[in-house]
Amino acid sequence: MPDNKYLLEVEGLTKYFNTPAGLLHAVDGVSFKIERGKTLGIVGESGCGKSTTGRTILKLIEPTAGKIIFDGQDITHYSTKQMRKLRTDMQMIFQDPFSSLDPRQSVMQLISEPLIQHKLVRGKAAIEKKTLELMEVVGLAQRFINSYPHELDGGRRQRIGIARALAVNPKLIVCDEPVSALDVSIQAQILNLLKQLQRDLGFTYIFITHDLSVVKYFSDDIAVMYLGQMVEKAPAEDLFKEPIHPYTRALLAAVPQPVVGETRPQRQLIRGEIPSPVNLPDECRFNKRCDYVCDQCKKGNPTLQEVRPNHFVACTRAHEWLE
Amino acid sequence: MSDLILDIQDLVVNYETDDGIVHAVNGLNLQLEKKKTLGLVGETGAGKTTTALSILNLVPNPPGVIRNGRIILDGEDVLQKSPKELQKMRGNDVAMIFQDPMTALNPVMTVGEQIAESILLHENVTQAEAFERAKEMLRQVGIPDSRAYDYPHQFSGGMRQRVVIAIALACNPKLLIADEPTTALDVTIQAQVLELMKELIRKYEMAVLLITHDLGVVAEVCDEVAVIYAGKVVEKGTADDIFNHTLHPYTEGLFNSMPNLKKKGEDLEPIKGMMPDPMNLPEGCAFAERCPYASDACLRVNPELRKVSDTHWVACRAYEDERFQLRRYQHA
Amino acid sequence: MSAVTKSTVTTAKPVTKMKSRSQGQEAWRRLKKNKGAMLGLAFLILLVVVAIISGYIFDYETDVIGINPAEKLQKPSAQHWFGTDNLGRDIFARVLYGSRYSLVIGVGSVFIGLVIGVLCGALAGYYGGMVDQVVMRINDMLYAVPNIMIAVVIVSLFGTSTFNLLLSLCVTVATAFTRIARASVMTIRQQEFVEAAYAMGLPTWKVIFKHILPNCLSPIIVQATLSIGTTIINASSLSFLGIGIPSPAPEWGAMLSEGRNFIRNSGYICVIPGLAIMFTVLALNLLGDGVRDALDPKLKK
Repeated sequence: MPDNKYLLEVEGLTKYFNTPAGLLHAVDGVSFKIERGKTLGIVGESGCGKSTTGRTILKLIEPTAGKIIFDGQDITHYSTKQMRKLRTDMQMIFQDPFSSLDPRQSVMQLISEPLIQHKLVRGKAAIEKKTLELMEVVGLAQRFINSYPHELDGGRRQRIGIARALAVNPKLIVCDEPVSALDVSIQAQILNLLKQLQRDLGFTYIFITHDLSVVKYFSDDIAVMYLGQMVEKAPAEDLFKEPIHPYTRALLAAVPQPVVGETRPQRQLIRGEIPSPVNLPDECRFNKRCDYVCDQCKKGNPTLQEVRPNHFVACTRAHEWLE
Repeated sequence: MSDLILDIQDLVVNYETDDGIVHAVNGLNLQLEKKKTLGLVGETGAGKTTTALSILNLVPNPPGVIRNGRIILDGEDVLQKSPKELQKMRGNDVAMIFQDPMTALNPVMTVGEQIAESILLHENVTQAEAFERAKEMLRQVGIPDSRAYDYPHQFSGGMRQRVVIAIALACNPKLLIADEPTTALDVTIQAQVLELMKELIRKYEMAVLLITHDLGVVAEVCDEVAVIYAGKVVEKGTADDIFNHTLHPYTEGLFNSMPNLKKKGEDLEPIKGMMPDPMNLPEGCAFAERCPYASDACLRVNPELRKVSDTHWVACRAYEDERFQLRRYQHA
Repeated sequence: MSAVTKSTVTTAKPVTKMKSRSQGQEAWRRLKKNKGAMLGLAFLILLVVVAIISGYIFDYETDVIGINPAEKLQKPSAQHWFGTDNLGRDIFARVLYGSRYSLVIGVGSVFIGLVIGVLCGALAGYYGGMVDQVVMRINDMLYAVPNIMIAVVIVSLFGTSTFNLLLSLCVTVATAFTRIARASVMTIRQQEFVEAAYAMGLPTWKVIFKHILPNCLSPIIVQATLSIGTTIINASSLSFLGIGIPSPAPEWGAMLSEGRNFIRNSGYICVIPGLAIMFTVLALNLLGDGVRDALDPKLKK
C-alpha cells in the first residue's frame, strides 16, 4: 500500500435524503484531501451538512454518490463487515457528552468496550491496566474508573468519549462539535488536550464546529460549508486574513468580538434566513442572501476554483475581490 | 429617588433536596440602573439563572428556597409581595426571555394570539385591539404582520426568538431579563437578533439584565458587566473596566480560556480544575483552589466586594496589596 | 505512529476507587424512601410466603375443596376465622390457598406476555418501515379486542383450564408491552451512544441487546408491575364469569362468583375474597408507582 501523503481523500461526496417534502440535499459534491497528522476544520451553521459529512466519511451513513479514499483504500462501497476491520483506524468524538455515553455503563466498561470488541487486549487485569492508562492520557482521575456518566460533569464525560476513541489507536478522528456543549474554561482544557494528543501521537483530525474562533485555533486548513456545499477552503491563516466568499465574510463579521473600546467597523450583517435544503434549484445557493448577487449567480452552481495557492472559492465573482 | 431599577442585596438561594442542600446563590449583590444594560457573565452552575428567576420569584419551590436577601425592583421589595401582586408585575413591569426558542412558544396557539395574551393580561383592551398591537409588535421585531396567524412550527429558530422578544416587549416593561437569548441560534442569526435587541432596547428605553457566558455578546451589547462565580458576584464594573482593566483572577482566566479571532495558535491557558460542587462549597474564597494567585488566607476568608473605582468593584483578597496586578498587565 | 502508552501505571499500585452507584442502585435507594411502595412490597412478599406455605399447611382435598355440608354458611368464628361458604368449606383456607392462583397467573402471564411483547416491539421500533407497520397493525387489532372476548374465543375452542386462561391473558399483556418497547426503542435508538456503538464496530444484534434494550428497562419494569395487578383482576373477572379457572379451585374471582347468591345473609363469602383481590392489586399499584418514580431520571444538578 503506497504510503501517500494524504490519509483521506474525498471526491464529490454526496448525500441526499428522501423526505416527504422532497429531496433533501444534505451534502452536495464535497471534495477535499487531508494530509496525515493535520487537521481539517469544517465550519458552518445548522443545516450546512458538516455533521452529515463527518458521519458519511466514517460510513455511519451510506453516501449517495462520490468517493472516499481512506489510507489508500477506496472504502466508498465497503460493506458493514469490511468496515468493521477499519473501525480501529477511524473514530469519532461526539458532541453531546450526555447522550454519547451509555448511562448503564461504568467508565471502565465504556473505555474498555472497544478494546474487548476488537480483541486488542485480553485478560481482565490487562484490560484494567490499559483503561487506567487511557484515563491518565486524557486527564481523567483514576478514582473515577467505576463511576457512572450521570455522576460526572460534562468535561469529564467528554474525556471518557475521547479515551474511548483513543483506545483503538485510530489514524483518523472525526470530532463533531466536541466542545460546543461545554463551558468556556472546560472547552479550553479539552481543546488543549486534543491538540497535545495530536502533537504526541500524530492523529489526523476532522474538526467540525460552528464556532469560528475555535476552528481558527485548532485547524491547519478550514473548509466553510453552506447548504451542503463547500463554498471556500483555505489554510486557516489565509482564510481569516483574506476571506473571499461573501458567506465567509458575513460569517466572520457576525461573530461578536470580546473587545471593548476600539471603534468597531459597521458590521455588514447577512440578511434573511437559511433556506430549506429540500429541492434546491441549480444555482448558487447563497444568492438569495448575497449582497453581491448578479445574473451569473442564477445560472448554475459555482464550483470550487483555486484563486490563490491552496485557497479555493466557489463564487462567480471571486476574482473581483482579489487584491 | 435612586436611579436603580434593580437592587439585589445579599441574596441567598438554596435548593433543598433529599441528597443535600445546593447553595446556588450565596450572598449576591447586584445593581442595575434604569435604561442600562448589564451583562451577567458566568458558567454553568454559577447561579445566573437562579438569580434571574429570583427576581420574579419564580424559583421552583420546592426545592428552591430564598433564604435571605432583598430584591428591590423599582423601589419595592419583590420578595415581600403577594402572588397576586407578583402576577401583575410579571410580563408587565418585568419581562423575561429564555434560551430555547423551540420550547418557549405554545405550539397550539398562533403567534399573534400569544403576543396578544400578554397584552390582554395586563391591559384593559379588547381582544381585537390586543391583536392589532400584537401585529405591531411583530413589525417591530422585523416579522411581516401577516404572519400573526401562523403557528410556531412554521417559523425558524431565529424568527421564533424574535416572537419571544415581541411577547416580552408587548407591555413595554421597565426591565427585561434575557437568559442566554442567542446561545441556541446560528452565528449569523445571532448577529441579527442582537442588532434587533440593541435597537429595541434603545427605542423602548428598557433596563436589561443579559445573562450569558459569551464575552463577545457582552462586548456587543452591554454597558456594564458583573461576573458571577459560585453564586456570588466576584467582579463588576463598566464594560471598559472589565475588558480593559480586568481585576479578578477568574475573569482573567475566562479571557485566557477563549480562543478569539485575534489570537494566534499558541496553547490556550485554561483555568485548572472545576467550579466547586455547590453542595459542598469551601470555607474561604470559592475560586481559591483554582486561582494562580491564591494565598493561604484566601482559603479561610471569603472576600467581599470592595470598591476599586467609582464604577469598578472586585471581591479578591489580593487587592489588599495595592501593588497587586494580574499577570496580563504585569509586563506592561 | 506510537501507541497510546506513555504512563507508568502498573496494576500493582492500588488505586482508591470512588464509591459509585449505578443507576439501578440509585433507583433502589430512592424506592426505599417511598413508604407506600415499601408497604406494597412488604404485602407482596407476605403474599408470596403465604402462597408457598399454603401448599404445606393445607391439604388440598380436605381443607380446600372438601365439602362439609354440616358446617355450611357459618359466620366467622374462632373455629373458622373467615367463616364457611355454602358448601361448608373454610374460607380462610380457600382464600390463602387462592393466593397461589392469583400469583402464578398474574406473574406467569405477565412474564410470557412481556417476552413476546418486548421482542415484537423492539423489532418494530428498531427496523421501522414495513416491519413496524405489520407488527403494530396486528398489535392494534389485538389491543382493540377486549380480553374477555379473547378469553371467550379461546375457551370455546379449547375448553376451560388454567393454561387457557393464561393464554388469553398473555395476549392482552403482550399488546401493552409491544407498544412500550417500540416507543422506548425508537427513542433510545436515536441517542448518540448507539451511534458510538456502531462507530466502534459493534454488530447490530449486540447494539440492540447490549445498549438499546437495557436502557428501555425502566418503562418495561413499571408496566410489568402494574400489569400484574390488572391481570389478576382480569383473571378474577373471567373466573367470575365461569370461563376462567374451573371450580372447585379457590380462585378469588371464582369465589366471588359462587358467593353471589348468598350475599344477603352471608356477605363475608364475597367480601373476603374481594378484599384479597383489592389489597393485592393495591399493593402492586403502590409498588408500581413507586418504581416509576424511583426510575425517573430527574437527576437535575
